[in-house]
Amino acid sequence: MATLLFEIGTEELPSWFVQQGSDALADLLVTRLAGASVEHGALRSYATPRRLAIVVEDVAERSLRRQVTRRGPPESAAFDASGAPTRAALGFARSSGVDPTDLVVDDLGKGRYVYATVEVGGEPTVTLLSALLAGVVQDLPAPRKMRWAEVETLFVRPIAWLVALLDDVVVPVEVAGVHAGRATRGHRFLHAGAIELPHADAYEGALRGASVIADRAERRAAVVEAARGVAAGEGLELVSDAELEDEVCDLLETPVAVLGAFGERFLDLPDDVLGTVMIHHQRFFPTRGADGRLAPRFVALSNNRVPDGGVVRRGYEQVLRGRLDDARFFWDADRSESLSRHAWGLSGIAFQKELGSMGDKVARISTSARQLADVLGVSEDEAATLKAALRVFRADLSTKMVHELPELEGTMGRAYALAEGQPSEVAVALEDGVLPRAHGGRLPSTRVGAILSVADRLDTLVGFFAIGRRPSGSADPYGLRRAGVGAVRTVAAQGWRVPFRKLIDAAASGFDGSVDVADDVLSDVEAFAWDRVSALLAEERVPTPVIRAAVHGSRSVIGAARRAHLLRALMTRDGWVDLMTLYKRAANLGRQAPDGASVRSALFRDAAEAPLFEALPDARRGVERLMAGVRKQLVPWDLGKAPNRELGGLDEAVAEVLRLKAPLDAFLDSVHVMVDAEEVRVNRLALLAAVANVLRDLGALEHLEAGEA
Amino acid sequence: MRFQDIIMALDRFWADRGCTIVPPHDTEVGAGTFYPTTFFGALGEKPWRVAGIAPSRRPADGRYGDNPYRFQYFYQYQVVIKPSPVDIQETYLQSLYHLGIDPGAHDIRFVEDNWESPTLGAWGLGWEVWMDGMEITQFTYFQQVAGIDCRPVSVELTYGLERLAMYLQGAKHAFDVEVSEGVTMGDLRRDFERQHCTYNFDQADTDLQRLLFDKFEAEATRLLALELVHPAYEFALRCSHAFNLLDARGVLSHTERQGYVQRVRRMTEAAAAAYLAGSAADAAQAA
Repeated sequence: MATLLFEIGTEELPSWFVQQGSDALADLLVTRLAGASVEHGALRSYATPRRLAIVVEDVAERSLRRQVTRRGPPESAAFDASGAPTRAALGFARSSGVDPTDLVVDDLGKGRYVYATVEVGGEPTVTLLSALLAGVVQDLPAPRKMRWAEVETLFVRPIAWLVALLDDVVVPVEVAGVHAGRATRGHRFLHAGAIELPHADAYEGALRGASVIADRAERRAAVVEAARGVAAGEGLELVSDAELEDEVCDLLETPVAVLGAFGERFLDLPDDVLGTVMIHHQRFFPTRGADGRLAPRFVALSNNRVPDGGVVRRGYEQVLRGRLDDARFFWDADRSESLSRHAWGLSGIAFQKELGSMGDKVARISTSARQLADVLGVSEDEAATLKAALRVFRADLSTKMVHELPELEGTMGRAYALAEGQPSEVAVALEDGVLPRAHGGRLPSTRVGAILSVADRLDTLVGFFAIGRRPSGSADPYGLRRAGVGAVRTVAAQGWRVPFRKLIDAAASGFDGSVDVADDVLSDVEAFAWDRVSALLAEERVPTPVIRAAVHGSRSVIGAARRAHLLRALMTRDGWVDLMTLYKRAANLGRQAPDGASVRSALFRDAAEAPLFEALPDARRGVERLMAGVRKQLVPWDLGKAPNRELGGLDEAVAEVLRLKAPLDAFLDSVHVMVDAEEVRVNRLALLAAVANVLRDLGALEHLEAGEA
Repeated sequence: MRFQDIIMALDRFWADRGCTIVPPHDTEVGAGTFYPTTFFGALGEKPWRVAGIAPSRRPADGRYGDNPYRFQYFYQYQVVIKPSPVDIQETYLQSLYHLGIDPGAHDIRFVEDNWESPTLGAWGLGWEVWMDGMEITQFTYFQQVAGIDCRPVSVELTYGLERLAMYLQGAKHAFDVEVSEGVTMGDLRRDFERQHCTYNFDQADTDLQRLLFDKFEAEATRLLALELVHPAYEFALRCSHAFNLLDARGVLSHTERQGYVQRVRRMTEAAAAAYLAGSAADAAQAA
């Protein structure tokens, strides 16, 4: 047993790749070790902007010895007429390292061939690792790789050094012109020169001594602790966010927190503007005072311990001041005109050639959002808010601030609306209307905002589909998938139970002849949007047949989502899958019942008919209770996430439905449905149709096959 | 360190490391990347090491001299080395030391920044270099130029000279930077900047610029047919500048913009292809 250390030293990796690359390295190495039959113990990953490393404990000295069967020539070619092995058989035996008498003939479904059982493995691990580790570097999955110098290997950034040690022995590995050795490097500025590692075990400690916290979780915790510490020293609270902590952590190897200040005069800028400038542009942590308001202080994390910290702090402060000066200039300039004046500027911002300007788009939304509001039914207050918001919806797109800081779109709409004295409901709706900004991003919190958001996104889908620009394959240059996902997440979270198609029809009302929107376009948009629902459910690991049953059995998005989670739970119940198989047969036959046919007990001729008929009311009540239960328990939620709670307490209702199984099974088993006597036949078909009807409320159950879910 | 001393120090530093110091090119460019010494230098297999100051013009970036950092005319210091040396990051840090910036006394970071120029059909991966939170250099490994894979790969360093000088001198505005004793950047460029901003944003005759673009494009095409690659490329640069002026005047719709970008790109790609064909023919003749 030995300990393996493998380190890929690089020029600075993109911060978003540090964790991702570390995970990918561990996955790939484990897969390759398994492929080579090298047994091993626990793994520890290390990742900084300048290195991805992994330590594997208890690595076997040799690969596992195991027997494998090799196939040789066909029997007909392996033996001559006298039964003696031919030259081909002898050659095969020799190359397999076995005696010709040990060859066996077998038929493994491919015809009769000669087989040899050979022992493989047992190679020294250090030998296997040379090619294995080189392969891991070459094949490490990454979204975007590059070339450098004259090297043929692609990697995320140039590879600067490699360390490969099995205990104290260097594993000879060569990739991209770099030879692995035992020398790692410490912090770029705080530790000059190489560090010779005597043993794989020495890695973490040696780096710590060279001012590198290689363990990412530890470094991240150190970042947060250091930042909180300097803030607390001044009685301030850190304004933190996980994304910022991740990014800061992956931009340094040793965290040194620096508290900086900016002029109080900037504090009348909206908090979101200050936050965006500090967080997105400078990766600084904002701080709050005891009164809960933003303080004119920030915390920056330096990657260097310097003799005079004041130099670094003044640098940070100067850059931040420049950016805040800019923001202040935009804030003042933008407010010199009203939002409705800025709205005029939208006609000068292109949306899409055939679909007009942003001004045209907002004009369409003015119609379609009101139509949506009618379909959904809104209060008078909401209608008034919507009307006011529509006058300046997305007007902030033509402000200087949003031009410079595009991530503030919507946020500035709200801020400028408040600044000019609009009601807060209107201001909030303006920001809500651009949400969600990204996959998994925050959704609109108000109904009016949700109407704006959905109207905008559906307008995009209908428009692009109408002019024939649909996503194909993985290409989606206009972000239509993102628009679709945003719309269905919002519709679900709002709990709108209106049929989805009605929302799409309402969204199309804005086009009013400006672009030809055919009916089949709307059907395609609907299908596309349902595909987004399915994809979101699949991300929650709902099995595909269950998703199909839920989507095809629902008209509203929230209905489909609830059914998906209900059916997923039901499929794990004993007997449920059997019931679904029976359902499918019942539904297939029942479909042949004439319209309006009803069940008459007087026409029962078989002993199995009455029990099934009598079981229906219980089953119906069970289905109703299941649907009521799921509506009550699963309050509308963001489909981009798991539902707010697990379903529970449905046992009785499930039992009620499952009681249908025995009589249905008996009926299908013993009753011949398609008899000649028409009245009896129709009665039996009608009974099966009634059974299918009762269950159909749960979804399009014919998609649920035994063994698939 | 005065502005002119920074330039001379960088010239000395990179000359000592085998670079040829090339004087500025005299056609307007948006960035040093458009310099023929960069564009053609990054193509093909021949080793290439050049450095030098690269005055650049981006009409839309002007702020009449009001903003301390943003100008329509500015100085970059451009280094292009092919193939990219393995120790280029270290060498770059030494160049800062040479300017009196001790990396041990600052917080210097290489932060991912990927670069793309649609008009040159070029892109690369690399970083912006941050010193105490301020971007001072763009650092790029070219992956493609004119749509052609770069093999071997060139590295391009672009120092933001005004920012470096502001930092070194503690100046709050680029115009406060001392260029030589008693002479500031403002003395040299204040009126120039203000008048050009007025021209770029308000006065540039857009009909003329559209006409010039068409004529320059036709000339580039004609010259390419005659295998006059370098003159043709300069006309492509002139087209690019005419386009930048139209863009600054705000008269281009989104679609029109795309159209102009594509037209410049077609010229630069054709120039690159002709350049490579020419070098291949030269090589064959030499052999």
